[in-house]
Parts: sequence; C-alpha cells; structure tokens
Amino acid sequence: MTLAPTLNGGLKLIPEERQDWLVLLEIAVDASANLAREFGGLMDEDSMWDEIVVPELEAEFSVQRKHVLKAVKKARRAKEKEIVIEPKDADLWYGALNQARLSLEAEYQFGPREFAEPEEIQDPAMRSAFLRDEFYLTLQSLILRYVSTD
Amino acid sequence: MNAVEAPAHAPKTRTYEKPDKPWQVVVLDDPVNLMEYVSRILIRIFGFSREKADQLMMMVHQEGKAIVWTGGREKGEMYVNQLHSAQLHATLEKAE
Repeated sequence: MTLAPTLNGGLKLIPEERQDWLVLLEIAVDASANLAREFGGLMDEDSMWDEIVVPELEAEFSVQRKHVLKAVKKARRAKEKEIVIEPKDADLWYGALNQARLSLEAEYQFGPREFAEPEEIQDPAMRSAFLRDEFYLTLQSLILRYVSTD
Repeated sequence: MNAVEAPAHAPKTRTYEKPDKPWQVVVLDDPVNLMEYVSRILIRIFGFSREKADQLMMMVHQEGKAIVWTGGREKGEMYVNQLHSAQLHATLEKAE
C-alpha cells in the first residue's frame, strides 16, 4: 500500500494488494462497539453517564466506524482504487482507528509500544492483531502529521 | 409552677456552610493514545498553551494521570464528556 500526502492537505491511500484492502476493512471490524460503555465505567452513578452520555458517544463512535467502512468499500468498487482522507474527515478516520486500537489493546494487552516485539508473539491471532495495530498506528501518525488541522 | 418567660428576642445564630469541595477532571494514561494527540486534545478542549498541554500530557504519561481542570461539577462533566468523545480515558473526582 502506498501512503502519500496530497497537495490540498489530505492523505492518499493506494491499496495495491488484496491484503491492503482487507486490513482497511478490518478497521471497522476491530473497533469495538463497547468503548462508550467502558468510558461510562470511569464515572460514578450520580453522573447518570450511562443514561445520558454513553448513548451519545455510541452514536458518535458508530458514525466514525461507518464512515471508514463506507469509504473503503466505495474506493474498492471505484475505477481509481484509492482513498483520500480529506482534512474535514481527519477526525472520523483518526477516531475509527483509535477505536480499533483501543479494542485490540483491551483484548490483547500489547502494552507500551517499546516493549512489544511481534516475533515474540506465538499466537497467530495475536500476532496478526499486533501487525494490524502497527498499521493503524502508522496511519494515525500520518493523519496527525499531514492531515489534522489543529 | 413558675411560668418561664420567653426571651424577647430569639438568640441570633449564624451558620457558616462549608463551600462544596471542587471537582477535578483527571486524564488517565493508556498505552494507545499518541502523546501528540493527547496534547492537541488538551489544547482543543481547554485552550491550554502548547507548553502547558505538553507538560500535562507528560504528567499523564509518566505518572499515570494528571489533574487538568478544577471547578464545578457540571462544567467538569462537560469537559469529561469532551475528553471521552476524543477517546481519552478521563474521570471526575472530588478534590481532597
């Protein structure tokens, strides 16, 4: 897969192999729908977080996952097989990638990046998850560097 | 039985209520969120300078958490809501 910044402040993704498309489709799969509820667990009952805030967060996070899934599927069917992350969509992409990484971390507990070595991971599912996480991390870093407007 | 005269004036009492302890917005460390992202979110939500945001972000990273705001409960909840929306682990605690 080729990743390159665009002249108008976006980031272009050009998937070249089947695995490239699969890893992009996996973003929405890896992203857990439980994240909002996990955040709710950080608040006390008096805050009514589960009743008021969690449904809003669930809706917001769902929009991020759906946006990424739709963009990847649309690009896969299009003549020009490429995806451009525009500055206006940076938060949606970053958020979906973050959801995926938070979910993978919750499931596999990779820990801090500097202590994780893929060749030391014996479980194939865990190793695959780690490599996806590495790709998501790279994509997040590129979005922060080239696309985000903050 | 002797009648007890009621005092002409009720004794004046004044009660002082302790003001409620303030609430603290606490950002918690996690191994996923990027340091640069955490700083940017703190700037976006609280309007911190880059220097202060980086300082608080490093505190989160090194000490596991940092108090990023202190004040009333309602406003604190609004900030935590925004932090959760940005997918940062955060909570609201009563100041000790």
